Amino acid sequence: MPIHSPRETFDRALQKLLDQVLLLGSMVEEAVQGAMEALQRRDHIAARRIYAADQQINEKRYAIESECIALIATQQPMARDVRFLAAILEIITELERIGDYAKGICRINLLLGESLIDPAAWLSLQQMAALGLDMLHRALDAFVCQDVKTARAIPAEDDAVDSLYNQLYRRLVAQMAGQPETVERSNHLLWAAHNLERMADRVSNICERIVYVSTGEIKELDSTEGNIETPGN
Amino acid sequence: MPQTLSPQYAIQAKNLSVYYGAFRAVKNITLSIEQRKVTAIIGPSGCGKSTVLRSFNRMNELTPSASIAGEILFMGQNIYAPEVDPVEVRRRVGMVFQKPNPFPKSIYENVAWGARLNGFRSGLGRPNMDEWVETCLRKAALWDEVKDKLQQSGLSLSGGQQQRLCIARAIAVKPEIILMDEPASALDPIATLKIEELMRELAEEYTIIVVTHNMQQAARVSDFTAFFSMDEDRAGALVEYGLTTQIFTTPKDSRTEGYITGRYG
Amino acid sequence: MKNPLPNPLQPVFEPEVAQRNRLAAVWRLLFRLSVAISLGFLALLLFNILNQSFGYAALTTKIDPASLAVNGAALQTLGKEDLLKILQAKISKGRLRQLDRELPLSERSREDVYALVWQEVVQPEVAYTWPLLDSLWRPAAVRAEAAARYPQAQLTFRSWANASFIRSSQSSDPLNAGVRTAILGSLWTIAITIVIAFPLGVGAAIYLEEYAADNWLNRLIQTNINNLAGVPSIIYGMLGLAIFVRTLQPLTSGAAFGVSDPTTANGRTILSAGLTLALLVLPLIIINAQEAIRAVPDSLRQASYGLGATQWQTIWHHVLPGAIPGILTGAILAISRAIGETAPLVVVGAATYITFDPSGPFSKFTTLPIQIYQWTARPQAEFRNLAAAAILVLLLLLLSLNASAIVLRNRYDRK
Repeated sequence: MPIHSPRETFDRALQKLLDQVLLLGSMVEEAVQGAMEALQRRDHIAARRIYAADQQINEKRYAIESECIALIATQQPMARDVRFLAAILEIITELERIGDYAKGICRINLLLGESLIDPAAWLSLQQMAALGLDMLHRALDAFVCQDVKTARAIPAEDDAVDSLYNQLYRRLVAQMAGQPETVERSNHLLWAAHNLERMADRVSNICERIVYVSTGEIKELDSTEGNIETPGN
Repeated sequence: MPQTLSPQYAIQAKNLSVYYGAFRAVKNITLSIEQRKVTAIIGPSGCGKSTVLRSFNRMNELTPSASIAGEILFMGQNIYAPEVDPVEVRRRVGMVFQKPNPFPKSIYENVAWGARLNGFRSGLGRPNMDEWVETCLRKAALWDEVKDKLQQSGLSLSGGQQQRLCIARAIAVKPEIILMDEPASALDPIATLKIEELMRELAEEYTIIVVTHNMQQAARVSDFTAFFSMDEDRAGALVEYGLTTQIFTTPKDSRTEGYITGRYG
Repeated sequence: MKNPLPNPLQPVFEPEVAQRNRLAAVWRLLFRLSVAISLGFLALLLFNILNQSFGYAALTTKIDPASLAVNGAALQTLGKEDLLKILQAKISKGRLRQLDRELPLSERSREDVYALVWQEVVQPEVAYTWPLLDSLWRPAAVRAEAAARYPQAQLTFRSWANASFIRSSQSSDPLNAGVRTAILGSLWTIAITIVIAFPLGVGAAIYLEEYAADNWLNRLIQTNINNLAGVPSIIYGMLGLAIFVRTLQPLTSGAAFGVSDPTTANGRTILSAGLTLALLVLPLIIINAQEAIRAVPDSLRQASYGLGATQWQTIWHHVLPGAIPGILTGAILAISRAIGETAPLVVVGAATYITFDPSGPFSKFTTLPIQIYQWTARPQAEFRNLAAAAILVLLLLLLSLNASAIVLRNRYDRK
């Protein structure tokens, strides 16, 4: 058994950690996907299931976090290794928050009861979710491949999500003004849209960490912020 | 006097105290070492970590004034029982030292000597000496570097290679446990990491107990860590023993915490 | 010398570098001088020996060899028959019979017979010798002096250390005297000394270093060994006389083994001398072997024990091989010491005049230093030349013994 690298054990531990992060990522993706499907079908059983499953996401996140801390404490990571572990600590937080958004969407599903969703509003929500999930998926791929170029490009796509959100916001506000009886329902939908919009922001944060691992730069990646028209951002 | 011994333990110290003359260097150590794991013993200078290590294969007896109280159980047997021969104990519990100390003989002979000494017999289905030397050098991750110069002196190798030769020499007598007394303290950082990686690999087959004054090394290499400290009467005592990740992230004893964060001792 | 470096520390320090360097130079000079003086003394010694060993000698003869010419043919051209006739005519019947008994004249070669004629009939004698320095620098003056003072003498350049000097045994005639007996005596004695002292000394050293516990008894033994190394050699001679020559006489004379006649045998033999010298060099060997064993790194012993080796396996496989170069260095020192010893051998009873070769450990004997001592004590000047030549031989013997030990040591040292 020849030694390939003097830090083979550590390298294996890092690889295992990366696998765990990807597993967490796919759990989160599934949760968002499932939450949206349940919302579309108004499926309360699925919504409750996904709501409960968020606990697993949280546990996975804490497991990865303590493994990270153990590696930092025992393996004296340096340079890229320490950036990698620091990035993972950030990334899993972001992923866990995205999981919380999925959970939030499930909760809105339950709050909406049996009431129907305006098809135009649903279309916007669905597009936002699709865009956000695609960004997340490619961001995680970029993390595996250490693909800085892709990671730098993804945050710009956030603009599309923002504009969808802005459209939906205007539509729902107009609706609420015209039909006061829809205020509660529209408000719920607005919250779902807000969650999806925040999800894309969190993907941008993940991308920042991917760039940091490879280059050591910590800075905001350009997503033309400021065109969100809602308060309480 | 066979005693019941949990099979997962390679060796156990029970109420072990070691004396040099009237001075008690180590007191009341009770420690169970897991099989096929790397266990690190850390602690400040003079806390008796090497003393405890050397009592695991009765090497401490080479110091004329040394004596022990308590028991060390290996395979259910107290190795300090009068009917146990230290020579046999040392074959079963091998040792690698702080300074690489290959014999001033050829690389081949360094590995073969101990095996021959202990009555190595080749034969049907068993390796001959050449094969055995190769096996041991491979396990010590040294074969590729020395296969073309087996007849050269062991002293012609670099420090890190010499230490791996010493490890090959130790495993050539088929020990069950390998004691390492600060095995990398005389080596450069890369050679050190190589030795550490080798320890991880050897742990698949052997139980490894390593004494090190290098906390980071203990953290990197070991599965379990025992922290020793000195008492008010200057005798070494076991403070905390547990999983390495636990010791290095959430030590239970404030003395351990103080030591590993560099704020004490 | 001005300091070219700007020195901002000047107010605090006054380094005085130049002065310190001057002092260093003075010391270096002193050390060099001490080496030079030692070399000077050594050169002086060698010069003195060489000066005496070679040089012009004025030889006179009892009978002019020219008068022995037969039918006009010079002595050196005669055949064996003519030489035998001269011999029979010129020397006594008794001497002739004696020579015949040693080796029948008819069986001797022509050269042998010629040498006998030269020795028994012509009988050359040394009238006067000149040192090498005079012989080389003012040969004309030497020749003039020889012609004036010894008109009949023949002046030849003589090397006192020559092949026949080494081959011949002791003789009262300086021209025929040699050191063969002494060389053999020295070799026999040294051989016995080493055979006894080496294993005993190394064994004792191993015990003291590897086995002996650190207690008062062993410390006492150690102190005594160290002190014994400094005891004057004559004391050992007296010890040898009392123990080996007197008390153990049946053993050292060989009588107990039936080797020699018990009525005439005594203990003044090579064996007694060898045993005495062995006692003398034993502390030397022990101390050196101890040093060598102590110098074997403890890490090797630990490594050996760690593999499950016994104490003896550790000593035999690691300690002794590591210590052998140092042990042999001790042995070299011991040989050098023993080969030059004179006083204890005089006490033990080395013969000062002996003509037959030693045949074994129970023979009477003499050694080179004793031979030298005896020759220098003689009044005739030419024996001083012989003594110088014998010193040359002794030095060569010493060098060759040491060289072989060094070769041996280097073979073990190459690891």
